[in-house]
Amino acid sequence: MSTNAAVGTGRDVFIISNSVDELGGVTTWSHQLARMLTERGHSVHVLGICDTDTPADLGPNLPYPTTTLHPGKVPSPFHPRGVKQRLKVSGYARNAQREAAIRGMKTKLEALFAAARPGAMIIVTQVWAMEFVRLADRRNIPLIGMSHESYEYSKDSSRFARVKKYYPEADRLLLLTQEDADLWILEKLNNVGFMPNPLPVWPEVPSKRETKTVACIGRLDDQKGIDMLLDAWAVAAPQAPGWTLKLYGRGEDEAELKAQCTRLGLDGSVEWMGQTSDVPGALRDSSVFVQSSRGEGFPLALLEAMAFAVPCAAFDCAPGVREIIRDGVDGLLAAPGNTAELARQLVRLTSNQDLRDRMGEAARVNVARYSKETILEKWEELFALLER
Amino acid sequence: MISALSTPDVSVIVIVFNDAERLPRAVQSVLDQTLHSVEAVIVDDCSTDGSFEVAQRLAAQYPGRVRAFQLPENSKGCGEPRNRGIAEALGTYVMYLDSDDELELNACRNMVEAAERTGAELVSGLSTQIYIDTRNQREQPWYRWLYQRHQVLEDVAELPDLFVFDTLSTNMCYRRDFLLDNKLTFVKGLLYEDLLYSAQAYLAADRIALIPNQVYKWYMRQNVAKADKSITNRRDEIRNFSDRIEIHRRIDALLAEKGKTGLRRHKDLKFLKHDIPLYLREFPQHGPKWQHQFAELSREYLATIPYDVFDECQPVHRVCAYLLIKEDWANLLPAIDWLRNPRKTPMPLVERDGRIYFCAEHLDDEVGRRMLDVTEVGFQARSLGESMLRTQLLSWEPQDGNAVRITGRTVNALGLIPQKAQLSGRLEVKARRKGLQTFSFPVTSFTHQGDYVEWESTLDISRTLRPLGLVDTIWDVWLNLGVDKQRTRPPLSVDQLDLDGVFAARPRLTRLLADRLEPEVSRPGHLAFQLTAVGPAASKGRGLLFDLMSGPVGSPLKRSAKRVLQARRDLGAADTKVGWYHRAMTRMPVKKGLVVFESHLGKQYSDSPRAIYEEMRRRGVPFHAVWSYEGTKPPKGFPKPGKDVEVVERWSWPYLYALARAEYWIDNQGYPLALRKRPETTYIQTWHGSALKRMGFDMAEYRMQPRHKQDEYQQALDRFDHFVVRTEHDVDTLVRAYRLPESKVLRVGYPRNDALVAARREEVLTGKRERGPVAKELGIDPARTIVLYAPTFREKAPELVLDPVAFAERFGEDTTLLVRSHYMQRLAVPRTLKGKVVDVTDYPDITPLLGLADALVTDYSSVMFDYALLDRPMVFYAYDYEEYAGAARGTYFDLREAAPGPFVETQEQLFDAIEGVRNGADADAEKRRAFASRFGEYDEGRAAAQIVDRFFGPAAGTQQKGQQA
Repeated sequence: MSTNAAVGTGRDVFIISNSVDELGGVTTWSHQLARMLTERGHSVHVLGICDTDTPADLGPNLPYPTTTLHPGKVPSPFHPRGVKQRLKVSGYARNAQREAAIRGMKTKLEALFAAARPGAMIIVTQVWAMEFVRLADRRNIPLIGMSHESYEYSKDSSRFARVKKYYPEADRLLLLTQEDADLWILEKLNNVGFMPNPLPVWPEVPSKRETKTVACIGRLDDQKGIDMLLDAWAVAAPQAPGWTLKLYGRGEDEAELKAQCTRLGLDGSVEWMGQTSDVPGALRDSSVFVQSSRGEGFPLALLEAMAFAVPCAAFDCAPGVREIIRDGVDGLLAAPGNTAELARQLVRLTSNQDLRDRMGEAARVNVARYSKETILEKWEELFALLER
Repeated sequence: MISALSTPDVSVIVIVFNDAERLPRAVQSVLDQTLHSVEAVIVDDCSTDGSFEVAQRLAAQYPGRVRAFQLPENSKGCGEPRNRGIAEALGTYVMYLDSDDELELNACRNMVEAAERTGAELVSGLSTQIYIDTRNQREQPWYRWLYQRHQVLEDVAELPDLFVFDTLSTNMCYRRDFLLDNKLTFVKGLLYEDLLYSAQAYLAADRIALIPNQVYKWYMRQNVAKADKSITNRRDEIRNFSDRIEIHRRIDALLAEKGKTGLRRHKDLKFLKHDIPLYLREFPQHGPKWQHQFAELSREYLATIPYDVFDECQPVHRVCAYLLIKEDWANLLPAIDWLRNPRKTPMPLVERDGRIYFCAEHLDDEVGRRMLDVTEVGFQARSLGESMLRTQLLSWEPQDGNAVRITGRTVNALGLIPQKAQLSGRLEVKARRKGLQTFSFPVTSFTHQGDYVEWESTLDISRTLRPLGLVDTIWDVWLNLGVDKQRTRPPLSVDQLDLDGVFAARPRLTRLLADRLEPEVSRPGHLAFQLTAVGPAASKGRGLLFDLMSGPVGSPLKRSAKRVLQARRDLGAADTKVGWYHRAMTRMPVKKGLVVFESHLGKQYSDSPRAIYEEMRRRGVPFHAVWSYEGTKPPKGFPKPGKDVEVVERWSWPYLYALARAEYWIDNQGYPLALRKRPETTYIQTWHGSALKRMGFDMAEYRMQPRHKQDEYQQALDRFDHFVVRTEHDVDTLVRAYRLPESKVLRVGYPRNDALVAARREEVLTGKRERGPVAKELGIDPARTIVLYAPTFREKAPELVLDPVAFAERFGEDTTLLVRSHYMQRLAVPRTLKGKVVDVTDYPDITPLLGLADALVTDYSSVMFDYALLDRPMVFYAYDYEEYAGAARGTYFDLREAAPGPFVETQEQLFDAIEGVRNGADADAEKRRAFASRFGEYDEGRAAAQIVDRFFGPAAGTQQKGQQA
């Protein structure tokens, strides 16, 4: 295999996800990577397995092509159990449809791979997508699989078994941190590496940390653990007079959480801001950032807050979190689920301007290690390694 | 494909000697590497089986990727071929591979990536031993603990275990210029060249990277005939040991030169713990010449190890090394037996000035005393039943091919077998495979000789022992020795005795399978018999059978046998049981009057469920009780099964069946979470103690669980229909943390505490403290003061925090300490402290012990809340309070403030507090009463009565149904 082709005119890179435009972190991330690689001179093609019910607005004029391999839905497989189900004709019809869909995708993928120039790379961002991509003949093009969540969080989900089943065939399985990668290696996957998420934008104007505002940006659902944040705030608020907790986001638990807030008597110090399209504005308007998630991968929210020089307090719920925040240096961590400790950390930050300034400025300096340029360089190194 | 001219990333040096068959597999594992830029350099150590021809063929087949070389003459080792390989290698990096092993497919890529990312000269990864002669190719990672994560060492001294343990050279990747610059080569003419090579490489490297990835597949056999053993595994030639010592000396010189005294110490320790025992285990099988040479070599080398390194070893290693230096064979043999069987009591032992020594010899010397002190092992705390007394075979006299007369002696350790004891015994010969037959042979005579008991027996083995002939090939022999009412069951150590003779065997199936029993020595050095086929009929029959089993008839047979076994296992699996429970059992009608009881997950017959059960019996309520227990047989104290009470094993079929059909569930902790409760069943959860530490959803770990897990847990909690509380504190903590509705709260107090309230009342009334039958049962003089020490369970067993000997010294005259710990972390109470310190861990129920104790010492255990009802002094020995309360879990209140008694943190303070209690000082009486009413407001002595009234009394039935919503 020759390596020269890639250097001059760039590589053909396929980024394949469940859908091209499903609302969520993976889509944001994959289009960001696509843009970065395109800017570098690579020819990127973003692929989705099928359509999604919750599309995100990607904006007009993407600088790279996108393709949905199977417009519509891929029927889920039918595994009959018991006599009654075995007689269900519709089930078998569904399986036939599914197989036809898979055949169609396989043909399309193989045509794309066959047309790719030497030096091409395939990046599969999600486990479900991998189940289909692996079936196609990829003609020695290196395949990079990804898992955008922590090892622990995978472990509680069906993805754990599926990663173990489908990823040994990949050339590389990328986790978000070395710590997560090592845990997967101990599960006897020997092709594991890691790749941190890049910081999307570098803000020219950081927060001045002049308002008495603690910000939290995240969906109002179970994973983000807002219920625990409210419990912590109930302890911290009396010790942080004049401070307001601003919650940005919406989600399925909104009503329940608002009821909890009222029950805890926090209506005076909590503001429900709803979904925001102006994250920079929200961060510039705050002096402390808080995250109380049950599970995270490599949380973008923390990266962004730190880039805006806002010091963070967070549950140490995943390797990605302790990788980003250096506890006591550029932010404060609390043991996962220990709301009393999170409250203590919030009080430390809200009551001490000096500490806020020191940690906020340190955060902005330190988080630069996840700049677009640095991360892109790591991708180039990985491509080169997979070709040797 | 790499051209011959370019530099490959990695050269893998594959060495081969007479292994033409497996060489291609090894080379293929190089060619298949995910990193493409890899070459294989084959070096043949002058094989005679055509290995070199195979190598040349591979080179011709893969030009530019495989090259083949041959040494002019055989070097009898691995070093020379590897040295040649280095000379020929072209790659930036070098790895070594043996012809019978394989590289993991990503090995080179992972190694090179780590080397380039970190700039390390040496990268080491995980090697996995794979046993090819085991059924499922059993895998054993080599020193996994060193390879848990990626790490970078600037100096090998940062991780001494790496230097000391991982001394292979095959799981490493070296930068070639690093090897050349440092002139690293394998030493010639010595075994264990790897050891020296890896030491040199570790010490020369400026940076070492470790990766947790598996890189090397090391194929091994579990059962190797002597002749086949690889060169270094043959420990029976003295050269093997002398070479090892020589290698160690050279490494020591290197360490001295580099000033690495810390590493030397680690290496010495490993030498004592691993190297010496490795040879000692086989010591008894060697001839006197080898033994002498071995001792000479060891003594010289051990003299270079300072005594304080010996102190760090486990006693067994220290004793062995010392006796070896002394060439004290008589005492060394039992020490080796102990080394091979760590649970054994190997010697009569000697007690001097409160210390226990291995033997009486060498004690006049201070070093001898230091080396032979085995007090910390705790032999002195073992009862006869807990001791496996070394029993040595003294003579072996075969009689006419049918029987053998044997004599033996059993050590009488620390006088466990009194002179006047009634001795009885038999030899048991038992098939090694579980669940088959056992045959017994009486011991014909015993002679008590002080330190030993000698015995003799005749095994008329041919007449009595009837093997099946097929699955019971190996038979182990045990002495079953009765001393008064206690029994012990040691195996028979053969040591250096010659076992001759062959005995006729009469298999039950057919004599065509086997016809002889031959004595043999088992792996740990004990007497056993093996069933063999010697006569022509038997050997043909056996041979035929084995051929058949491995042939076309055997495979389906074996397969169906496996299926039957698997089905049997599946039937016992929890999933199957839960399935049947939900699909079938819970659809049967509920059985009126069936009540299932459980206490502490079946570990005891105790606590509130017991109190309710006994109250129901007292009242003569008509009901059918089922008590569950954990383990294979009911622990002490459980009721005798009868017409209206059953005792069933937890998770057994009858247990599930009872739960499925019960009208009531009564327990104090929780029935298996996977089991749903049907709505017709009423669940009375009595709980097992008020809370100091956060519980349920107040615990961070439960709070952090994703919603579906929380819901699952909540569902299990929602099975409770009634939750017993003894105070509003319980409502604020437990009830809230388990998210139970107010309607389920049963404010009646704990039934288990009725007895305590009654005892207190009695005491106030009569002004007298009744000891009751418990004191007698435990053999405690009722006139003595009794202190109960009941600490809470800890995940990590702490080191000794209360020295029973010191307690007895200070208070032994008139005070008894009862110690109730947890099985995992029990104190070793020496037998000499009888009556002064009593281990009551096994006593089934704690409530009677609380009633017995004049004072309680605890830390954070919930017994503090119960004991307060007695209004007797309490001492809080909270030596790790900060750690306990400060941990992520946290507490509901600050014990330091609330404790109704002295709060102490050292043994000194504790003893002073106990002194105070003995002198009748009671400064905290008022605080204690406040504590009792705060945490026991509903404990009024009628809890069991109220519960029975409500659910099983005459007016029940109508009432309880309404409460369920």
